[in-house]
Amino acid sequence: MFAYLVRRIIGGIVLLIVMSLVTFALFFASPVNPADFSCGKNCSPAQKKQTAAALGFDDNFFNQWADFGKGVFVGRDFPDDPKLRETAPETIAHCPAPCLGYSRERTANVTSLIKETLPVSVSLAILAFIIWIVGGVLFGVIAALRRGTIIDRGLVGISLVLYAFPTFFVGLLLYKFVAIKWGWVDIPRYETIADGGITGWASSLILPAITLAVFFMAAYVRMTRAYVIESLSEDYVRTARAKGLPARAVTFKHALRAALTPIVTMAGLDFAGLLGGAIITESVFNYPGLGKLAVQANRDYDLPTLVGLVLLLAAFVIIANIIVDVLYAVIDPRVRLS
Amino acid sequence: MAISKKPFAALAASALALSVAACGGSDDNGGGGGNSDNKSAAGSKGGTAIFFNGVRNTEHWDPQRMYIGRDLNNSGRLFYRSLVAYPASNDAKEGTTPVADLATDTGKTDDGGKTWQFTVRDDVKWQDGKPITCEDFKYGASRNFATDVIIGGPANYLFTYLDIPQGKDGLPVYDGPYKKDNQDLFDKAVTCDGQTITYHMKKVWPDFPQSIASLRYLDPYRQDLDKGDASNFQIISNGPYKLDGNWTEGTGGTFVRNENWDESTDPIRKALPDKWEFREGDQDEAIYDQLLADSGDAQFGVTERRLPPTDYGRIDEVKDRYTQVESPFVDYLLPNFNSPVFKDKACREALAMATSRASWIQAGGGDRAFKPAYSVINPSVPGYTENPKFKSIPDEGDPAGAKAKLAECSAPKPVKIKFTYSGGTPTSDKQASALKDAWDKAGFVTELDPLQDTYYSVIQKPDADFDVTWAGWGADWPSVGTVIPPLFDSRINITKSSNGNDYGNYKGGPEVDSAIDAAYAEADLDKAAQDWAGVDAKLSDDVAYIPLEITIFNFLHGSKITGYSNNVSTNGYADLAVIGVSK
Amino acid sequence: MSDTSTKHDAFLRVEDLRVHFPTADGVVKATDGLSFELARGKTLGIVGESGSGKSVSSSAILGLHRGTRAQVSGQILLEDVDLLQLSDEEMRRRRGLDVAMIFQDPLSAMHPYYTVGNQLVEAYRVHNNVSKKAARTRAIEMLERVGIPQPDRRVDDYPHQFSGGMRQRAMIAMGLINNPGLLIADEPTTALDVTVQAQILDLLQDLQREFNSAIIIITHDLGVVAEMADQVLVMYAGKAVEYGPTKELLVRPEMPYTWGLLSSVPDVTADTDSKLIPIPGNPPSLLNPPSGCAFHPRCPHKDKVPGRLCWTVQPELVPGRQGMGHLKRCHLPDPDQVYALEVLPEFDPELASELAQARIPDPAADAAAGPAAGPAAGTAAGTATPDTADERDAQ
Repeated sequence: MFAYLVRRIIGGIVLLIVMSLVTFALFFASPVNPADFSCGKNCSPAQKKQTAAALGFDDNFFNQWADFGKGVFVGRDFPDDPKLRETAPETIAHCPAPCLGYSRERTANVTSLIKETLPVSVSLAILAFIIWIVGGVLFGVIAALRRGTIIDRGLVGISLVLYAFPTFFVGLLLYKFVAIKWGWVDIPRYETIADGGITGWASSLILPAITLAVFFMAAYVRMTRAYVIESLSEDYVRTARAKGLPARAVTFKHALRAALTPIVTMAGLDFAGLLGGAIITESVFNYPGLGKLAVQANRDYDLPTLVGLVLLLAAFVIIANIIVDVLYAVIDPRVRLS
Repeated sequence: MAISKKPFAALAASALALSVAACGGSDDNGGGGGNSDNKSAAGSKGGTAIFFNGVRNTEHWDPQRMYIGRDLNNSGRLFYRSLVAYPASNDAKEGTTPVADLATDTGKTDDGGKTWQFTVRDDVKWQDGKPITCEDFKYGASRNFATDVIIGGPANYLFTYLDIPQGKDGLPVYDGPYKKDNQDLFDKAVTCDGQTITYHMKKVWPDFPQSIASLRYLDPYRQDLDKGDASNFQIISNGPYKLDGNWTEGTGGTFVRNENWDESTDPIRKALPDKWEFREGDQDEAIYDQLLADSGDAQFGVTERRLPPTDYGRIDEVKDRYTQVESPFVDYLLPNFNSPVFKDKACREALAMATSRASWIQAGGGDRAFKPAYSVINPSVPGYTENPKFKSIPDEGDPAGAKAKLAECSAPKPVKIKFTYSGGTPTSDKQASALKDAWDKAGFVTELDPLQDTYYSVIQKPDADFDVTWAGWGADWPSVGTVIPPLFDSRINITKSSNGNDYGNYKGGPEVDSAIDAAYAEADLDKAAQDWAGVDAKLSDDVAYIPLEITIFNFLHGSKITGYSNNVSTNGYADLAVIGVSK
Repeated sequence: MSDTSTKHDAFLRVEDLRVHFPTADGVVKATDGLSFELARGKTLGIVGESGSGKSVSSSAILGLHRGTRAQVSGQILLEDVDLLQLSDEEMRRRRGLDVAMIFQDPLSAMHPYYTVGNQLVEAYRVHNNVSKKAARTRAIEMLERVGIPQPDRRVDDYPHQFSGGMRQRAMIAMGLINNPGLLIADEPTTALDVTVQAQILDLLQDLQREFNSAIIIITHDLGVVAEMADQVLVMYAGKAVEYGPTKELLVRPEMPYTWGLLSSVPDVTADTDSKLIPIPGNPPSLLNPPSGCAFHPRCPHKDKVPGRLCWTVQPELVPGRQGMGHLKRCHLPDPDQVYALEVLPEFDPELASELAQARIPDPAADAAAGPAAGPAAGTAAGTATPDTADERDAQ
């Protein structure tokens, strides 16, 4: 198991390096020059050139990537201009290792941007995760156990409809009615636990979390239902009934245990994806998380921030994959022992 | 403005909007006019007002780097003062005429605008209590030259005029207060004598004070607090409010009273609320859901975001909080002078006659969103005159006349043209189709070519293969000199690799060039306006552009806002200098 | 209670059992009027192709169709208590305690996430109010009894760590952990190697003697039946088509379907002349069973029945020529004759000739069979095969 973990982690690191290369390559392939955007409208070609040099976009692809790599391990200075360092050292921003770059757009180290925005996305992801897992699995199990009844059809139907709703729309609807028209909750505005306490934090998150959870919940209802139905027809469930076990034990101890394994896998990966920010939900509710940061960075051609976010998300997914595999082994002895 | 509905969205929008600084939104035009809420103008002090900044983040609070109309306006009304500023007025003349602010006068020149002199007041202070000195102004001006650190501002104007030579690389030989190469040249170009600052120009700059009042690039700056790029969101206030804590990009910040601001030195800013809260990142729909419902603290809200067209139907519910203002922007079409079709004037004439402004406007949201334009110059710019040639073409176009003209066009028939536009949204595509219909009716065969992120990169290439394209513009300050030359002076726009803002690759030739130079050099601003009108006539004669429309702003504000005005002094946006809140 | 028990000495009596599944297309009659009896310590073999209703019937005895849409009717009397009349809860309490079942594929029939011991303990504790520790001791004891080596260690293994034979032993241990009076073994050896099959069957027989259980063994393998069963019930299309004492039925089968099953059994001891003859065609649809005799579309002998009886009239399950204990559902008037002369020589020539010699002094059979089927049988069995052989040689 340990050797396996080490192997997986090394594989993950290699993947991250490749991801960083690909991200850089994609930006180089883009016909849009980020320096032009920083330079503004009233900008002569000479100024554009100067801007590109100042932002470090004039160097070749590989050098830029190598500088980035160096920054991760030993940190970097921005701008890396010896003359400026000599004459006006106060204008040099230092980005300590692990440096994921420096965003000129936002005048901040990418690592500190991530530090500011990550808690928001993580909070949102956790709350949404709780809602969707509890709701999705619960309703999915109910639908499976009441298969073919009105309850089943109702649940499946509702989840189909919700699944088809764009998140943007759900968010605006909740915003418009729950927060503004009916005033059941305050206009959503992110509050940290430090500022608002646990209740303030949770209530500030409830609408975005529901928005985010709706889509996943709908998917999980259907998925859980399918897995539970499949599991209920397994031979070992029949065995459990033949042993004379009460129905509840058959369902929960035998059928659900097996059905939950693939759900755990999916949930782990989905959750990891969400840690990287819920782009639409965060934009609709104006929550300063990674998703909104990504949208803005993309809009502003803020390459350093985007690279940092892509790598962060990749790292989350890779780590989640490893965790899910370990979890899988915990749940399923066949994986653990073979 | 039209651009904001297009996918290129905030990027283009910022690029454009920022180029606006001033405009005189005239009250007398038929487009609805800015109806100032003057009944509660005498607001009382106190309370917290909220400004919804919207999804487009403030990119810079560094005065030398700011270039977006919204931020220039708001900062100038709340925490940044300069030598001169516009008074809070919606009068076309008064609102676009600078008055003394941190200076004791509005600038003196003895040589028609080649040397400008201002005297800084003795009784004005920074937020930390230190006096504002002439050296602070000089230092602020010098920062414009650090093109590798102070990026994004309108420094180019200073490079054109200030008496500092240009190096081989196309940039001034002085490189700013950080590296200090050729500092002596700058020290000669901008001098301080006590509290009197003198700017020495290469050539006359008659409307220099307007540029100071409209932009913030000549604001004073504190050398001891300057951290270069890291100062991007640092606000060193000398106005009535100062930042409380930090500015968080994407979230906003809160401004509280600056105790070191002396009301008696400032005739412009009323500074009524105790606090201004800036909220950044809200979607337009979210802002207007709150404003329409007048719910919670949105009652104290003001915004520069426009009412989404989907909510036009609800305007009647909120009539008393609704304002319609003509924007300082004009959208227009550019025939590509490098295209095999439109290098021929007859073909351009045919296009101009075939163009239906009316159907473009209809497709874009109707007359609540747009008003037909008859020049590339916005009516709010002093010296604007309707261009008779464009006025003579009906808003619906003249298909018959166009057909006849097209017969004279040398291009092989049928005349195939490609329209490259900033597309990808339903509205922009609908508008483009409306244009295509009108053109095709006249005999063109139009191919639509919507581009998104790459739009400007593509049309800025001199060898791009489009035949006609779309653009929008607003003046940087109330002068035609910030409209026609930046758009059509080939000498400053066209290089081998780029056409700058002259996307149609128009080259006016010696006649136009000298007319531009003459208009620039005219110290009498009224006379200069006539000169500009002459240049515009020549442009229309060449069909260098085809004007489409003027964007109309539709705003709402909260019910507890007092003194709400969309002044020409703030380009038709809400004038935060005079707004207060009621309890 | 005592009154009825004296009336019937059978431990299990199934009367007219029907298991119908209503579907959108109609009613699937998986089991349609099945009756049999079984005494303690005895074994009944139920034989048939997949889909013949054998597993469905045994599941019905266990009450596993409760809570589904299946409609179960008839009577299942276990010690004169009709299991079909019990409440769900009463039935659940009997499951695993009075009636236990072991399944075909022990790998899928055991839960992969729980240890073997855990699953045995669970089976024991659900019917016995004992501590986990006591149950574990019992589980180890049972594992030892079924021949698992080092049961105290293997008890904590997961099913996938057991070999196929060991898993089936563990399943048997689980089935017998509560000393059930009736054990239903559904294809207990199908998934196993041949050598292991024998061990498992031996084990089942040992245990039966020890616990005096009644066993129903469901299989399609007549070899298993021959070794294990006292009585055999052959099922086809949800119905019993032949039912009788094992020896009698295997030696003198009277129903063409049974013949087909017999001729499909490979026999390592048979000489090379013997052939495996699969039953032609596919098992019938239970939704729309064939008219008349359900087997007639696949029956090679239907033409020997006068009229189109096989197409039109469903035969009754009635005693055959061998006497009351041997029931068959077939219109053939002289099945013995056909079997001996046509069927047997085909797949077991050696036995056929032995039997033929033995049969010569039986005039009754000859007289009955002779005129009707004799000549036909001669051509079919006597000449067809050599012809084929000649052709092959010629080439």
